[in-house]
Amino acid sequence: MIIALLTLSLLGMQQRGSPIAARLAGRVPPDVAALVEELGTAASTRGLPVDPLIQKAIEGSAKGVPAERVAAALRLVVAQLGTAAAALQDAGVVSDTLVIAAGGFAVTAGLSGHDITALARTGASVTALTVGLRVAGTLAAMGVPSAENIGLISTKLRSGQPTGDLLLVPAHVQAEIARGVTPAQAAAGLERAAAAQARHGPPPGHPTHPPHPPTPPHP
Amino acid sequence: MSEHEFHPLVKQLLDGDITLADLPPALRAEGDEALRLLAAVDRSPVQLPAVSRRVMRAVASRPARSVWRVVVKPRELRLRFRPWLLAPALAIAAALLVFLRTPTAAPASLVTVRFVLVAPDAREVSLAGTFNQWDAHATPLIRSGPTGVWTATLTLPAGQHQYAFVVDGVRWVADPGAPAVNDGFGRRNSVLTL
Repeated sequence: MIIALLTLSLLGMQQRGSPIAARLAGRVPPDVAALVEELGTAASTRGLPVDPLIQKAIEGSAKGVPAERVAAALRLVVAQLGTAAAALQDAGVVSDTLVIAAGGFAVTAGLSGHDITALARTGASVTALTVGLRVAGTLAAMGVPSAENIGLISTKLRSGQPTGDLLLVPAHVQAEIARGVTPAQAAAGLERAAAAQARHGPPPGHPTHPPHPPTPPHP
Repeated sequence: MSEHEFHPLVKQLLDGDITLADLPPALRAEGDEALRLLAAVDRSPVQLPAVSRRVMRAVASRPARSVWRVVVKPRELRLRFRPWLLAPALAIAAALLVFLRTPTAAPASLVTVRFVLVAPDAREVSLAGTFNQWDAHATPLIRSGPTGVWTATLTLPAGQHQYAFVVDGVRWVADPGAPAVNDGFGRRNSVLTL
């Protein structure tokens, strides 16, 4: 009897509503929810993250976008995630959903699958690569061309610096742009500095890592 | 109303400790009167129908108590060791462990961020993004004085966030001070990487 009760409880737990439907309930129209369920299930079987799809559906509904346009955006998100996953696989990275989502964002921001593969081939850990892809996507959104972008982030990833340093890169690029250089020049200059630091160590009087946690970038 | 105090021996008589014959002759008349008064008292049970009904209703509405009594009632238990049940029990325990164990995500570090929008003509400004399920009403900005500067300070988990300002409840505006990407709907989302 105890075994039967345990089995029933296990079955009951398995038959709870899907997490996708639960997150979309009351937030999106039923047809959009059904599409997210369908695309999300297929994405999961491919090892792709589902969260970007859920977020895009909720965003579309919140912005009052017609269902067919939300559907098109959802399919685009799946395609971008697929591009990122394939690029990571090409580099031999055993990827998780977080790094694929970061790669998907990088593609959204304008980077290519080749760019992602190049970053993934730096040998950085998956955690560092995830941050690197997010930062590279942010730099792309700031107008940094792919060549300078990938050069800078690759150098940073190879140097093995803490991810907190990577997160400071957009603020540094922004500061350089504020001085009057182009985004490409800003990134190229920072890449040269990072490469020199990797070769010779930090300048005298400058510790390798900031003594305090990095201040958050102001949006 | 005057109070009549009986002799202590008469009180013993009324309590049934002694009989009338045990009383001294001088007290027998008093004892006799006391017994007569006692006999005159109406001993029929007092009926309070309303109270009775309330009490019985209250008792009837407490079935859990009887269920509880059944549950906690002491009973004899006999435990028998059945070796052939050990393997399935262990298998079920292992399955439960695997099934119930939820992955414990590393606690995400939090970062405090100040959002600013200059919108002198706006009546209201709010912030919607991946951090609040794109809820256009969840995070209102506060107007700082008459300059039209709207601000909100949020503590967000480290990671990547996309957002936009919602002006007057209808107009979605990207943050002019932050990088932005195409939102897939013909607008721009601001990007924040923490």
